[in-house]
Amino acid sequence: MEDDEPSHEGFATETLDPALQKKHHDMLERLSARHQSLKSDSHDSSFSSSTLDSTSSFLSRFADSKRSVESRIAESRLASSSSADSSKVKSDLSDISLAIDNLEKLLAENSYFLPSYEVRSSLKAVSDLKQSLEILSGELIPKKKFSFKSKSSSRKPESKPAEIQKLNVISPPKLPVRDSPGFRNKHGETLVKSFKGSSIGEFTLSDLDSCQVKLMGTVNALFLHRLRNCSVYTGPVIGSILIDDVEDCVLVLASHQIRIHCARKSDFYLRVRSRPIVEDCNGVRFAPYCLDYEGIEEDLKTAGLEEETGNWANVDDFLWLRAVQSPNWSVLPEEDRVSSVSISGDGDY
Amino acid sequence: MGLLSIIRKIKKKEKEMRILMVGLDNSGKTTIVLKINGEDTSVISPTLGFNIKTISYQKYTLNIWDVGGQKTIRSYWRNYFEQTDGLIWVVDSSDLRRLDDCKMELDNLLKEERLAGSSLLILANKQDIQGALTPEEIGKVLNLESMDKSRHWKIVGCSAYTGEGLLEGFDWLVQDIASRIYMLD
Ligand SMILES: Nc1nc2c(ncn2[C@@H]2O[C@H](COP(=O)(O)OP(=O)(O)OP(=O)(O)O)[C@@H](O)[C@H]2O)c(=O)[nH]1
Ligand SMILES: [Mg+2]
Repeated sequence: MEDDEPSHEGFATETLDPALQKKHHDMLERLSARHQSLKSDSHDSSFSSSTLDSTSSFLSRFADSKRSVESRIAESRLASSSSADSSKVKSDLSDISLAIDNLEKLLAENSYFLPSYEVRSSLKAVSDLKQSLEILSGELIPKKKFSFKSKSSSRKPESKPAEIQKLNVISPPKLPVRDSPGFRNKHGETLVKSFKGSSIGEFTLSDLDSCQVKLMGTVNALFLHRLRNCSVYTGPVIGSILIDDVEDCVLVLASHQIRIHCARKSDFYLRVRSRPIVEDCNGVRFAPYCLDYEGIEEDLKTAGLEEETGNWANVDDFLWLRAVQSPNWSVLPEEDRVSSVSISGDGDY
Repeated sequence: MGLLSIIRKIKKKEKEMRILMVGLDNSGKTTIVLKINGEDTSVISPTLGFNIKTISYQKYTLNIWDVGGQKTIRSYWRNYFEQTDGLIWVVDSSDLRRLDDCKMELDNLLKEERLAGSSLLILANKQDIQGALTPEEIGKVLNLESMDKSRHWKIVGCSAYTGEGLLEGFDWLVQDIASRIYMLD
């Protein structure tokens, strides 16, 4: 890579010279074109038999090292009761710390091919080990706080904390108030919006109760916040939909990415290019997208969402570590699904 | 003591930089890394753990750690602090509602002693979206001016979709790290 890319060291920082901008832009395009042609190392690639192989060999190596760390922690705890000398204790502890670091490195190096659930549970295992070690060192070296990393202890900033705290007390300038486009604080209304021909980039639905919302056309980002007992029907979003705090709702949504936080007792009819995720949810059910309005085919195409990927059912629950189905979400049984929903721009305002 | 300084030495020789990329979920971290690496960005799922990308940049090798920002996994961020040369904080400039969260998480991060020596690049991402806050506005909200004077930092507006601003940001970061670490030899 070095030899065919001009090094642009030296004109890095403040310069905004258009010629340089152009040069940067070209470089990015070149990079992009080249990698596009040999993109094969995607970390998202699903398992071939060879990665399955590596996954299981990773898992057994990981489990071995993990067990060895655990038993060393247990040994150290035992040994300490027979009053070992403190320098021995310290060196044991830092050995264990090193072993945990190595375990973490092993995980890091292999994470690109591991199924996400294995990554999550391994991360958790490492984190747990670190915690046990911290607890152990607290028990063994109660007075002086033991520091595993020589780096942090050797480079104490000259008592900056006090100053930092002072700065934090001074309240920061208030958020620039800007009314982003959206529907807010409504009760019992039908809210209709068409993005056709508008230059709206992001749109927000917030604090709605018992409303029916129809959004047609495409938009770049959509935010949903605090909805109760609402029906929401939207055309395709080129970017992501972020949902936070909804209850008793029916949502029919299409987007590149859909992230659902704090949803309860709600049904989602989705078309999505990547895997939808839920966090802090329960009683949420999923079904495929089923919206129709005049011109939707074209909008879906514009957004690159014309194809049904089946991802509506590939939900990842961030609070569920195990490989078995999360109890927080389910597939909506076919007999309970609404049939296709048709909306129109009547009553647009 | 022994090991750390040895690692440091090896890193110097290979001109390697370790870069930690964090920020709230949905801010665009993974999209940025793939874009800068010239990979396809059309299908990206939210990051459940982390991704590591090793890319050559100018004459350096960057090890970029892209760690997921969903609430549940923010507590794992601290597992990656050690040995960080450069910190990239990514902001979704169109997500006005969560700017408070964003500020709080950044403030917490900057209190972290293990990150005290790293250069900080703030990417005000999604500038392509109509209605996004400008980097200046983001800087004000995050109260960057009040940051500890010893910190090297810069805020740059960018779009992971168009690629605009990414190289400006990475150029600054790499130069800043280089001038701190390598040119001292
Ligand atoms: N319009 C626009 N959308 C963007 C940009 N960058 C990212 N996105 C979209 O924002 C969403 C989130 O992007 P990701 O890269 O997955 O975000 P992340 O920060 O890695 O999120 P986590 O992995 O959960 O921490 C995706 O739908 C992207 O397509 C941008 O510059 N402009
Ligand atoms: Mg990500």
